[in-house]
Amino acid sequence: MTGLLPVGAPVTGAPTDGPALAARTRGLRKVYRTAVAVDQVDLDVPEGAVLGMLGPNGSGKTTTIRMLLGLVRPTEGEVELLGRRMPDGAGRALPHVGALVEGPGFHPFLSGRENLRRIATAEPRLPSAAIPRAVDDALERVGLAHAAHRRYRAYSLGMKQRLGLASALLVPRRMVVLDEPTNGLDPAGTREIREIIAQLHAEGVTVLVSSHLLAEVEATCTHVAVLYDGTVVAQGELDELLESGTPALEVSTPDGAGALSALRDNRIAARLTPDGVRADLTVATAPRVIEVLVRAGVAVHEAKRARTGLEDLFARLTQRDAHGAGLPDVDEGTS
Amino acid sequence: MTATPDTAPVQRWTVPFHRLYRAELRWIFRRPRTLIVLGLLALIPVIIGIGLTLAGDSGPSPDDPGGRESLLPVAAGNALVLPLAVLGFTLNLLLPLIAASSAGDALAGEAATGTLRGLMLAPVSRGRLLLVKASGVATFTLAATLLMSLVAMATGLVLNGADSLFTLSGNTLTLVDAIGRVALAVVWVTLQLWAVAAVALAVSACTEHPMLVVVAMLAGVIVSSVLLLLSAVDWLHPVLLPRSWMAITDILRDPVPADQLGEGAIRAVCYIVIGLSLAYARLSTKDG
Repeated sequence: MTGLLPVGAPVTGAPTDGPALAARTRGLRKVYRTAVAVDQVDLDVPEGAVLGMLGPNGSGKTTTIRMLLGLVRPTEGEVELLGRRMPDGAGRALPHVGALVEGPGFHPFLSGRENLRRIATAEPRLPSAAIPRAVDDALERVGLAHAAHRRYRAYSLGMKQRLGLASALLVPRRMVVLDEPTNGLDPAGTREIREIIAQLHAEGVTVLVSSHLLAEVEATCTHVAVLYDGTVVAQGELDELLESGTPALEVSTPDGAGALSALRDNRIAARLTPDGVRADLTVATAPRVIEVLVRAGVAVHEAKRARTGLEDLFARLTQRDAHGAGLPDVDEGTS
Repeated sequence: MTATPDTAPVQRWTVPFHRLYRAELRWIFRRPRTLIVLGLLALIPVIIGIGLTLAGDSGPSPDDPGGRESLLPVAAGNALVLPLAVLGFTLNLLLPLIAASSAGDALAGEAATGTLRGLMLAPVSRGRLLLVKASGVATFTLAATLLMSLVAMATGLVLNGADSLFTLSGNTLTLVDAIGRVALAVVWVTLQLWAVAAVALAVSACTEHPMLVVVAMLAGVIVSSVLLLLSAVDWLHPVLLPRSWMAITDILRDPVPADQLGEGAIRAVCYIVIGLSLAYARLSTKDG
């Protein structure tokens, strides 16, 4: 079992097995006039997971999130959020969900604090007396306390993004949905967002975060769903997905050619890499590879198990999809 | 996110309406453009009052008591006529424009800034959202007409004194009676503006461009006014909102003839019902 579920895999076969789901979609489809934005999306968000939704721009991430939150009615298929059918159950599910969708939306003539207070008055779970405190706490948490009194108009892109995040964190949530939360943030800001996501995860909050940045997802998520061209091409636990490639050993050596011939003499598949060789571990074990190299007198500087990077995985998934469906090659999404 | 016991999150599915309404009012009346519009509206009666006084018009001698001509000449030297003249004058274009722009900001403007989505996600149901928005626009238009007529009344009293409260029929009214007449005019004009605003809200729910709402309503008012001049389409006249707008002069007569005013009020109520229904139909299926 690789945990890699290709398109059309029997996800629907046993949907209720395994951990409880904070959100799930079945056969989700959304058509805007003539364009199919999302098609046959079966997404599972396990409770307590940090699920990274990955895909190039225009792959249907935001549309899926908007349907998940009940902002958009699906053309076909069903959505369940915290056990409620959406969009009709929005009144019951959304009070427990914090969301930042399609960038922060605030009024330019109000200060950050006043903007948050306005949103806070609409939060059903916040008693009126608790609003000022909740607003200040949320501002503190995203590092905006010092700029709370400044008009939103004067905020930098990163500050706007943080204010959007603060509005999702006004009340303790069961689930937080963040659509491209690190857009416009500098590296320090990106790290802070990751820390906030890690905190939420530690508190047991389910987090759904979409991104086109692979490194961001790899660093913060426990689960991944890869969207491409409006469909889910793979989903599952991040570790399983990463190990689903062929196992290999990366050997760093100045004598790549010598290493290659030594390995091939011993019937171990290998290929040259810039630093040395990459040995296939499907038949041989790692100690055996090292042994062969040392016996052959090849200098080994370093040897490590090759983890398929998310980037490789992504390229593989989308390429396979491209070949299978006769689509043009992907050239975006690997920034 | 540590919550103290008295302010701990509560298990509740909807926010009390008055909390949303208060927040809406705070948002409307803190907006710079709202304050500018109100300031300009307050300036209009003062300018007209001073202008009429300086022009030294002949005073309260309407040559044609039965006609529906401009009240402006009569307003000079009459503290009762000035508020009604100003209301009648601005009802033709300016006040509907302001009502439309307020309705445009309420939904289209909020959709443009992305803040409408924030309210929907809180969540505020679509029906409540429309109710809150309509209440906010209604309050603002009432504030606008009230402010303008108060300033007009004060201007008239300062310029002409409390003994200048004549009706068009020639009777002199006490100050209390005069205030009653002005209040009636404010209520009636506000009702007409709510009719405009209700339709504007329906347009506002369909777009993300507040300007489009203003242009649409402006076009509607102008086209209606032109159609009302054409007797060839007189079968259409009963459904045109501006048809009874000239009837505001009737409030200055003794006794106040109720037929035109009443018909205008009923027409406005119909517009409000239709406008809000359309707005709800659109908003409830709109993508957030």
